[in-house]
This record gives sequence, structure tokens and C-alpha cells, in this order.
Amino acid sequence: MLLLQNARIASENSPVLLESDVLIVEGKIQDIGSNLAIPEGGQVIDARGRVLMPGMFDAHVHFRAPGFENKETITTGSEAAINGGVTGVVMMPNTRPALDSATAVATVLDNARDRSRIPVYTSGCVTKNREGKELAEIEGMRELGVKMLTDDGDTTADPAVLLRAMQYATEFGMFFASHCEVPELAGPRAVNEGVMSYRLGIKGSPACAEEIIIDRDIRLAHAAGAHVHIQHVSSKLGMETIRWWKSRGDVKVTAEVTPHHLMFIDEHIGDYDTNYKMNPPLRTQADCDALLEGLIEGVFDIISTDHAPHTPFEKAQDFITAPNGITGLDTALVSLYHHFVEPGKFGWDVLVKRYSAEPRRLMGLPAASIEVGQPANCVLFDTEAETTFTRDFMKSKSQNTPFIDQTLKGRVDLVILGTEVLLERE
Amino acid sequence: MARKDLLDIASLHPEEIEFLLDQSKSFKKLFTHSVKRIPALEGKSVLMLFYEASTRTHSSFEVAAKRLSAEVTNFDVAHSSISKGESVRETIETLQAMRTDYIVVRHSHPGLPGMIARQTTASVINAGDGAHEHPTQALLDAFTIKEKFPDPRGKKVLIIGDILHSRVARSTSTLLQKLGIEVAYLGPGSLVPKYVPASIHRFTDYEAAMAWAPDVVYLLRVQMERQDVQFFPSLREYHRVYGITTARLAEISDLGLYIMHPGPVNRGVELCDAVMDYERSLITNQVENGISVRMAVLDWLKPGGEFPKQVSYVARQRADSTVLTP
Repeated sequence: MLLLQNARIASENSPVLLESDVLIVEGKIQDIGSNLAIPEGGQVIDARGRVLMPGMFDAHVHFRAPGFENKETITTGSEAAINGGVTGVVMMPNTRPALDSATAVATVLDNARDRSRIPVYTSGCVTKNREGKELAEIEGMRELGVKMLTDDGDTTADPAVLLRAMQYATEFGMFFASHCEVPELAGPRAVNEGVMSYRLGIKGSPACAEEIIIDRDIRLAHAAGAHVHIQHVSSKLGMETIRWWKSRGDVKVTAEVTPHHLMFIDEHIGDYDTNYKMNPPLRTQADCDALLEGLIEGVFDIISTDHAPHTPFEKAQDFITAPNGITGLDTALVSLYHHFVEPGKFGWDVLVKRYSAEPRRLMGLPAASIEVGQPANCVLFDTEAETTFTRDFMKSKSQNTPFIDQTLKGRVDLVILGTEVLLERE
Repeated sequence: MARKDLLDIASLHPEEIEFLLDQSKSFKKLFTHSVKRIPALEGKSVLMLFYEASTRTHSSFEVAAKRLSAEVTNFDVAHSSISKGESVRETIETLQAMRTDYIVVRHSHPGLPGMIARQTTASVINAGDGAHEHPTQALLDAFTIKEKFPDPRGKKVLIIGDILHSRVARSTSTLLQKLGIEVAYLGPGSLVPKYVPASIHRFTDYEAAMAWAPDVVYLLRVQMERQDVQFFPSLREYHRVYGITTARLAEISDLGLYIMHPGPVNRGVELCDAVMDYERSLITNQVENGISVRMAVLDWLKPGGEFPKQVSYVARQRADSTVLTP
């Protein structure tokens, strides 16, 4: 039994926080109200001033296992999630071997049951070994609960292959997540084409390389009657393309934006800082502003981190050699609060809706909420405290994040899932 | 005022540039003496780490180092563990253990010399990193121009060719602008991107560029080896549209303009044969000046001390830096 006194409750339905006591009994929210009686033998937490919100859900993470356990494991990845107030994740299938079969998926899910304190879901590949040629067998993956199919990390290059996959897999109730880029245009180097790519002397990756595939894949979904989810959109025109397709209302399209594309631009690369190297690349201030507009408007259904751990050695190489991607689970919630909620750019409702409720709905799960009768799945967040993202603070095996050693406003104090207190920070 | 490394022109301060060009002048005077060697770097070691082919930059650095009495070692990339897949970082750890004083590095990856500089106490000189910078080339170009125009302020330099892939264009244009020289780019639309700095005039038409009335025409090598896709239809068409043809050379000669080129030249592409014998061609002056400029740089840099840290974007903003960027 746990009584949280005078918490300010956040929900997806209102920017206004509701101050109340919350009583959790046997993993369920039993009562919400003012001046609730202190239960006998129960724990009482004075939550005055702190925000109680449902646990976040990240529908785009790379846990690297199997194959790249030097970067991350299911244990370290899920602990990073808990550390950042995230109580559920969807793994991407670009492991080694790739998650392109029921066997591979079963192994990961078995491991996750033993090694993670939060639910870990996984997506499956569209094509065998993500090669974009032969369709992966999906029936067995579906039986294990896979809903999302993606060759993330790469675009399924051949549109005919993707169209056939969409026609086929849609009948199994599955949807597609697209990493969007024309490889011939994007090239291997993750810098937006423009002033910054000129200055760095790196051949840039133009935004149109991404926008062409965003449009292509929605068109293919339109033709196939499929549901396509556009991953990590980075450009203004990309956002506007999705907005236009959504306004037509004749294709099921959802989309995501990452915290880093909302917060950083290409200039942050500065002197070849590999913690700003990712794909799609950071673009300009105009793109950044448009993405925020798209999030507030609802063009983007969800926020996902694209949590992409790499070892310190890999990221300490030169900018061209260092791999793409940054971690996000340890930092996402605090950084979203610091950059957007605290300065009033969007409200708690947007945060809860886009990083907790909608990602769960995308995966066909019920949204978590702080309501009587709901399972306990909540985060207590101190808006007055600060978090310094030292290497020791981070629970991910890798610390390739632009937030390294930065101090931001906000702190995850408590994470509760069911009958378990997953995190309690003093 | 001394620095550990020379990685780019962008971060050089005006007084540093002035100092280096003055020093180059003093070193050049040595060339007329019968004994050309001085003991400035006696007992110091210079390691040449060239991951990309080079004739003139490599030999120029070697000659410069030897004239300063340094011991020069060539790191043989082709026969090293690099061909066994050793990463650059591991190579650097090896080199750091050898306690070499100077590392002259050329690599196809932009920013790589900076990464090396942060991991060694040796002075690192960038001898060309991809399409990023080639600071000693810029210094020798500026020195060569100043020999002809002692007060170069207000002079105009037209750089013709493959701007997109050129580290020379970036470094030299940045340095010339710091000296008060106006710079314009001319080349095919596919190689002179629209997003070059606004301070540089952008031309895609030869006549229009000449109407801008340059004092120096600076030709870039057409780098076929850097072009993974085609940027213009043919070398013949390039020569006709953007090259210094015989007819154009006559016009340039009438106007009394200087011609420069970082070498090696592609005859019949960016220039016709006759340019090599043109009386106002400064191409051999550039080669000669390369040695004194590199002596000045080696003499100026001070190895040792702490490893410099990577300057983050945030720290850079806070530092209120006056550093100009290209």
C-alpha cells in the first residue's frame, strides 16, 4: 500500500495538473481524492509540488542484443528506460542476427522476460536480414505478438518489395514503420546538406532524400490499404507531407519525432562532435521549429527517442568513421520537460499523450493513466529539482548523448509499475 | 601566442596570420644562402602520416622540416597495420607512445586531424582533411599574393572549379577574406553549391565572373578521384565552359591578371598548356613559397602540454568567440 499525498496529476486530456492524493493498493490505483486516510501499515510519500504522470513508452529503441552486447543489453537498456521514467519499449530488429524470424524474436522475448523489469516488445523485419529482397516470414512473429514490421536503419529500397509486403502483412493485422531515405541521395554521412555541410567539408544529406521516401511509403500504404508509421521525421517538408496525407483521411498514417530533432540543429555539430551525429541528420532551425509545430498540432502521433547506444571507443573516432545515433532513454523525459514543458512551449497533456498514451495505442496496448481502477504505472517527477547527466547517472551501457555532463531542470524521483517500485531516487 | 596544433584557417586570429606570413618572409631569405639549414628544430622529430597520395605537400613539408634540422619519419600507410584494419585511433595511441613532436597528417576524413590533436601531445598539422581544410596551402597562397600585392586589401580573387570537394577553396577563401581580399567562386552549378557563405560571390558563368574584374584567377584541380557520381558531362565540356582556353588566356594576359593553381594541374581541363608558360603564372612561386610557409608553421607550433579538449557547441557559444568561420 502506498499513499502519495498532494501529487499534481498529469493526464493526456488537460494541460492543467490536478492536485490530489493517490492511493495504490496491490498494484492498482484504488483511490484518488483529497485528504485520503493514511492506510494502516502503508507507505506515505509527501508528493507535494511534484507531478505524477503515467509511465512513458518508447516505441523506437535499439537494445543491440543479440549481436552488439558491447553497446547495450536488454538489461542495461531497460534500466536506462526506468532511469528516465519509461515503463515500456519497442525494440528495433537491426540486431545480429536480425529479428526476421519467429525463432529470433522468441529468443529476444525470452531474454527480456528474465532480464528486464519493464515490458519489452519488439518489431520484426520486413525482409530477411533487412536486405530488402526476400520477405521475412511473419506469421510466427505475429503469434509472438509482433505488430510492427520495419527494416529500420535502412529503407526497404525496392518499392515493389515493400508494396507486396504491405499487401500481404496487412491481412495479419500488422503495420509498417519506415526509416526514410534514398541512399543514393543521402550518402553515408549524417550532416544536413547546407551551410553546415559546406563548412565541415562533408557531402551533405539533403532533406529531399528523406522526404521522397516519406511520400513514397505513404503512397504505397495508400495503394495497399496498409498502416504506415513514419519514423524519426527530421525536416519541415517531411512534416508537411505527412500533414497533407493525414488531411486527406484516406490512408492510415502515423508518425514520430525524436527529442533530438526537436531540440538540436546542424550547427550543434560544431567541431565534429560525434554526439550530434545521427541519421536522419539534424537539420536547420526552420526544420526544428516546424517539427515542434507538427508535434503540437498532432501531425506527429508519438515521440520516440531512437535510443541508439554506441561504445565510447566507437564514438571517439573521427566524425566520418563514428557510427550514427545517440542514446535517449536516460534523458528524454527530463530534456522534454526542460526544453518544452517548463518554458511553456507545450503542456503536460502533450507530453503524456505523445510519449505515453499514443505510443501504447500504436502498439495496440491500453494507455496508462492515473485513474481509479487502473494498474499502477506511474512516474513521480520533481519539477524543482535538477538532473546532471554524468556517466554514473546513466544506466545505459553507452553514454553517447549530447546531454553528457549537462544539468537540466526536472528529475524522475519514483517509478512504479504494478506492485513494484522500480526506482526511488532520494 | 604559440599554439600546439594547426588544424584550420577558420580559428586563426589576424595577428597569428600576420606573424606567420612575416616569419615565412624571413625563412624565404634563407633560400638565397649557400647553407639553407638552420638548427631551429634540432633534436625534434616530425612524423609524416599521409593516408592520401601527395607529392608536393608531402615533399614540401619534408624539405621544410629538414631545413629546420628536424628528424623526419615517414609513416608508411600502405605497409602498416592500417592495411590490416587498424583504426586511426589505435595508430594514434601507438604514435603517442613514440613521443614524436610533430605529426603532419593528411586524410580523406574531414575533422580527423582534430581528433588526432585531442589524443596526442604532439603538434598536429593538418595537411588536408577531406573537403574541410588545407591551412598551409592557404598560407602559401596568401603569401604568394602578398608578394605581388603588399597591401592586398580590396583586391579580388576569382576561384574557379570544384568548390564542393575542395579544401583549398575553403581554406584559401577564408584566409584571403581575413586579409581583406574579396573572393568569388566560379564553376558548374553542381560543384558550386548555392549555400556557400554569403560573403563569397557565386558565379556559374565565365563572362559574368570576368566582368567582376578579378586581379587573380585561381584555378582548382578538377578532382576526378573525389567524384563518386558525375557532376558535369565531360572534361571537354568543362574545359570549354570553365577552363582557361587559349583565347581566354589572351584576354587574361591583356588584362594583366595573375593565375594561380595549387597543383597538380590537369592540362586541357582547367587550363590549356600555354598557361604553364604564362608570364604572370604564379604556380611555381606557390611551390617555392610552400617551403618557407611550412618552415614558419613548424617553427611556430609548440608541442607538449595537456591534450586539448573538444570545444562543445555550448562552450563555444559561451566563449563569445571572435573566430570567423568560412
